[in-house]
Amino acid sequence: MTLTSDPTTAGAAPETVPVPAAPSYHTLNAMLNLYDAEGRIQLDADREAARQYFLQHVNPRTRRFSDLRERLDHLVDNGYYEREVLDRYRYEFVRDLTDRAHAAGFRFPTFLGAFKYYTSYALKSFDGTEYLERFEDRVVMTALTLATGDEALATGIVDEMVAGRFQPATPTFLNAGKASRGELVSCFLLRIEDDMESIGRSINSALQLSKRGGGVALLLSNIREYGAPIKRIENQSSGVIPVMKLLEDSFSYANQLGARQGAGAVYLSAHHPDILRFLDTKRENADEKIRIKTLSLGVVVPDITFELAKNNEPMHLFSPYDVERVYGVPYGDVAVSEKYREMVADDRIRKTQINAREFFQTLAELQFESGYPYVVFEDTVNRANPIAGRINMSNLCSEILQVNTPSTLAEDLSYAEVGKDISCNLGSLNIALAMDGGDLGHTVETAVRALTAVSVASDIRSVPSIAHGNARSHAIGLGQMNLHGYLARERVHYGSAEGIDFTDIYFYTVLYHALRASNLLAIETGERFEGFEHSTYASGRFFDQYTDAVWAPKTERVAELFANAGIAVPDQEDWRRLRASVVEHGIFNQNLQAVPPTGSISYINNSTSSIHPIASKIEIRKEGKLGRVYYPAPFMTNDNLEYYADAYEIGPDKIIDTYAAATRHVDQGLSLTLFFKDTATTRDINRAQISAWRKGIKTIYYVRIRQMALEGTEVQGCVSCML
Amino acid sequence: MEKLKLIDRVNAINWNRVTDDKDLEVWNRLTSNFWLPEKVPLSNDVQSWGRLTPAERQLTMRVFTGLTLLDTIQGTVGAVSLIPDALTPHEEAVYTNIAFMESVHARSYSSIFSTLASTREIDEAFSWSEQNEALQRKASIVLEYYHGDDPLKRKVASTLLESFLFYSGFYLPMHFSSRAQLTNTADLVRLIIRDEAVHGYYIGYKFQRGLERVDQAKRDEIKDYAFTLLYEMYENEMEYTADLYDGVGLTEDVRKFLHYNANKAMMNLGYEGLFPSDVTDVNPAILSALSPNADENHDFFSGSGSSYVIGKAVQTEDEDWEF
Repeated sequence: MTLTSDPTTAGAAPETVPVPAAPSYHTLNAMLNLYDAEGRIQLDADREAARQYFLQHVNPRTRRFSDLRERLDHLVDNGYYEREVLDRYRYEFVRDLTDRAHAAGFRFPTFLGAFKYYTSYALKSFDGTEYLERFEDRVVMTALTLATGDEALATGIVDEMVAGRFQPATPTFLNAGKASRGELVSCFLLRIEDDMESIGRSINSALQLSKRGGGVALLLSNIREYGAPIKRIENQSSGVIPVMKLLEDSFSYANQLGARQGAGAVYLSAHHPDILRFLDTKRENADEKIRIKTLSLGVVVPDITFELAKNNEPMHLFSPYDVERVYGVPYGDVAVSEKYREMVADDRIRKTQINAREFFQTLAELQFESGYPYVVFEDTVNRANPIAGRINMSNLCSEILQVNTPSTLAEDLSYAEVGKDISCNLGSLNIALAMDGGDLGHTVETAVRALTAVSVASDIRSVPSIAHGNARSHAIGLGQMNLHGYLARERVHYGSAEGIDFTDIYFYTVLYHALRASNLLAIETGERFEGFEHSTYASGRFFDQYTDAVWAPKTERVAELFANAGIAVPDQEDWRRLRASVVEHGIFNQNLQAVPPTGSISYINNSTSSIHPIASKIEIRKEGKLGRVYYPAPFMTNDNLEYYADAYEIGPDKIIDTYAAATRHVDQGLSLTLFFKDTATTRDINRAQISAWRKGIKTIYYVRIRQMALEGTEVQGCVSCML
Repeated sequence: MEKLKLIDRVNAINWNRVTDDKDLEVWNRLTSNFWLPEKVPLSNDVQSWGRLTPAERQLTMRVFTGLTLLDTIQGTVGAVSLIPDALTPHEEAVYTNIAFMESVHARSYSSIFSTLASTREIDEAFSWSEQNEALQRKASIVLEYYHGDDPLKRKVASTLLESFLFYSGFYLPMHFSSRAQLTNTADLVRLIIRDEAVHGYYIGYKFQRGLERVDQAKRDEIKDYAFTLLYEMYENEMEYTADLYDGVGLTEDVRKFLHYNANKAMMNLGYEGLFPSDVTDVNPAILSALSPNADENHDFFSGSGSSYVIGKAVQTEDEDWEF
């Protein structure tokens, strides 16, 4: 019998398994999605589901040890835990830390939280029959791994994690301390240059990184277009689509021990001649040869595209092959907005024309049909980037925004010149619990130290450009989740003036402490990221917006929330001191914040995803390893339902305003999903895109459409079916 | 076999003169729900398929051949046979859409087969379906009424097929998906369920409009007929369910599900449900999975889900670009 399946169906021949007397936990969990006789949501059923899950499934399959020493010896001797991790600590310390974690009183409040943890994260025996870790044990092992012998840091990480204030992203939490494991880093971004070596190497990199558990995004903008010359012979190139096909198949092939398929994204400039073919790969009626099913798509849109649409001018697409020859740099490194008129006038550059408004409409049609593409507002991103260099792409979740530089490959695919590619490890704070904790500065600092430890420990040798980039930048991405849960618990409506005010001041405070922590790391290590001296941190210009203006809560309610939590909001004097110290000592991390969509970890952590509104009061979650399960919004009771309006009811405007407030204080990006009812048209989506771009949003992640059942065909009494 | 009657005279269909708004509403819904099986990454289920027991695999194949048969009937005979009875030209158009989508459904099961199973397994399952008495009887009962000459009776048979007879098969992928097995296959089947829910509802609705045009005696006759037919099909369905599910011990659970859907079918026809609530208490895991809404949240590691729809394209105007 395997642990990933339900005991009533898995492994053993079904006819020999009797139906259990107590209702199965899946049945209890599904009751969440059905109202009871009085029309109330059956939240108790889910709590009972969690309890039954432990009674029926987890407890009988959890390996017992007489004491910690026996447990650790067993796990190390049998190749489950990395010996080097434990060897850095005294046994007494590990014992006390484990006791401390278990004494904290952690409980999974939902069935999905527990189910997700045991299905996907907990250490299992090699034959898959026994669980070898409880949640607290995983926390301790993660902390011991990241702190590399620093007892105070290990204790700090355990405290933050077991209290639920900080949760590292899946690759870190899943893998830390295990002997057979993938990488601790979540996310990789690779350039592809316009030559066969680079394309070949990128496919190898996609395989290597998928095998290790990462999501990989690749930049296609540099690749010459369909019909471009090869060795000056015209009409030879087949453009970006076949490269996408190769990548899609590579990702499907590389799954981590069958755990999950590799996942990848590709980004293309809106002004690449293949752009419409690229988008059409997601059409419902696309030919199988060009249809892209599992690869995610992203489009990089500069400001000029909006201006062309505004003026209803034609939109020129430029041959990357020619542009690279004229400017001497790959197409992706050319600022299209800046050079647009110049390139239009340049006869050496081949170009085609499309209608700019039709381009935006096509984007919206595809987003309706498939949710894709993601959108990166290229010029917004580069204006907000404190680091020298250009950002030309994002990642699988559209929250990583960092500069890259090209690599040059030799004929045998070795690196003649190693450029900088991007990796980022992520972790998120639970906003509600971080506020409750009362010491946001300490929470942020511990999280920054934990994330930095992952970066320092990472060395992805299979992809030298990634290893090179990481060693020089030590970029991390501190994220946030449970914004909606927190606001609802405090009886503040998402997207209200108070909701936006809170978001603004919270992110402002987090930024201050993140920079402070990175500055402390620079002072302690005597190191700063490469290129610090060319950043606006070094010139001090980054700090102008905080030293020149007063940032404080604008509403009474938000001032009260911070005051009641005992959390001080940094003032101008704090910023002046911080600026002086940063200018003098630098900061350790090139990038500090990125707000990911937080799927899995927000279930374990009992959070709402990211800073999005909830998708539904009872969310239906479907995953390969879980099946279809139901998740109640955190802190929701039958008495505070009015604060749990879902994302479709809240609509795009309030989401954009909330994200705009946070975006100001985040150096990288935030995964922003737009939600529409099915009464929306492509024009509504276009309007939302325009509004997002105008308000300084950096990227758009998915567009989601909710179609309700036709009246008369719905399942009666179903929570997620009600408007 | 009698030749199917075709309508004699055709006027150009004018969608700007819609006499029954329901036609347009359903047409819009069906077209925006258009999909093809290639959309769903079924190959992601290959590993999960390999983890099923031989008994479960055999059951799955049999269930899907049974569904293929029903969809073939509905696509090639059922929906087409309703066209001559249509009250409005728009209703005719909706039936052609229904007929086409039924063929898409039948095609989809073959996609599932060819992705997951070997030719031998496929042939075995088809041969089983040709020999299973209950399944063949189910097909012949429906076919008989499609070839009969009473339009209302045809609609009763059609609604029972769409809203009741499919569900002994639909149960299985819903059951599997709540246990993280064959989840992409379940996505595909959920798309089919989404369509069938609309089909059954629409045909039932048209049946009720037809009933308004006949006298009380005829109404009584039809009602009597509907319940008799349901009962006949029900008896047969109980047998078919046992043939399929006894081996995996799920027969009782499936039967409750059938009761539930039989009631839904009768409600689609405008009648009261036949089964009391104590035998329709479907396992919540199945009932919740049944929701035809496009509302589930999935991650990009796990396929496309059954959510997205084709949207309405509207051009932007100058005012949208004022910035």
